[in-house]
Amino acid sequence: MGAPRKLAGALLRAVLRLAPPESRDWALAMLRELDFIAGEWAALLWAIGSTAAILRHAASGWRIWLRGKSNKEAGMNSTGKKALGVGLGMLSALALVGCAFAVLRIAGIVFPALEHSPWAYWLAVLAIPEAVFVIATVMLWRKRGPVAAGILATGLVMALHVAVHLTLHW
Amino acid sequence: MKFRLSPQTLLVLEAFLEQAEEWKYGYDLSRVTGLKSGTLYPILMRLAGHKLLETEWEAASEPGRPPRHMYRFTPEGLRFARANVSAHANGALDQVALGLIPPSLVQG
Repeated sequence: MGAPRKLAGALLRAVLRLAPPESRDWALAMLRELDFIAGEWAALLWAIGSTAAILRHAASGWRIWLRGKSNKEAGMNSTGKKALGVGLGMLSALALVGCAFAVLRIAGIVFPALEHSPWAYWLAVLAIPEAVFVIATVMLWRKRGPVAAGILATGLVMALHVAVHLTLHW
Repeated sequence: MKFRLSPQTLLVLEAFLEQAEEWKYGYDLSRVTGLKSGTLYPILMRLAGHKLLETEWEAASEPGRPPRHMYRFTPEGLRFARANVSAHANGALDQVALGLIPPSLVQG
């Protein structure tokens, strides 16, 4: 027995040991066929192809398992999931506002004239983020309702904050 | 039934339709169809998963010889294969008639 065939056998035996139960019969079937393959290199190619096939089979099993688990979790704890979605939406919105402030600061350093320009300030920290919030809310409303609600809530709080600020100072 | 019929899957179905009642081995199918194990086995797995193929371990014919995994159509699989292979062949002949594909692709 040559080295390629030995390697092929070792590879398929390792696959057989590591394969999940639902793929094990198939891995064993591929290993048994190895004895009937005439060429040394053909045996190795057979083993490599078989390994790929088992990996794909096992991966599809894991995908089904994960999907089933997430559906189960959704059924058991949908309130928690919704709260998590809203929190994620709010965090994303706040992160965007933070980024807008950071961009404004950097722009102020690079272009000092912008630092004293009120329109740049309102554009960067209010107009653009609010526009992004509205677009994101519309786009996410159907598929990721809680996240969209979180973004919308943050946008409304920000708009309210600006309205109060303007009322008090102007 | 929702089942993607790739050209490779059709090749496997055709190979099974040859003496459909007989059990077939993986390596023999690979030689007949020209498909590598990495392509052939996922197709066999899907066919078996859809209950179109039944699988069995061969009873050891000689001592010391490992049993092999064998495959053949279930009655439902046989109906499915006959329907789809002939439909594909008719479609291919139509395409040849229209000059969309060369005749060599549908011969044999």
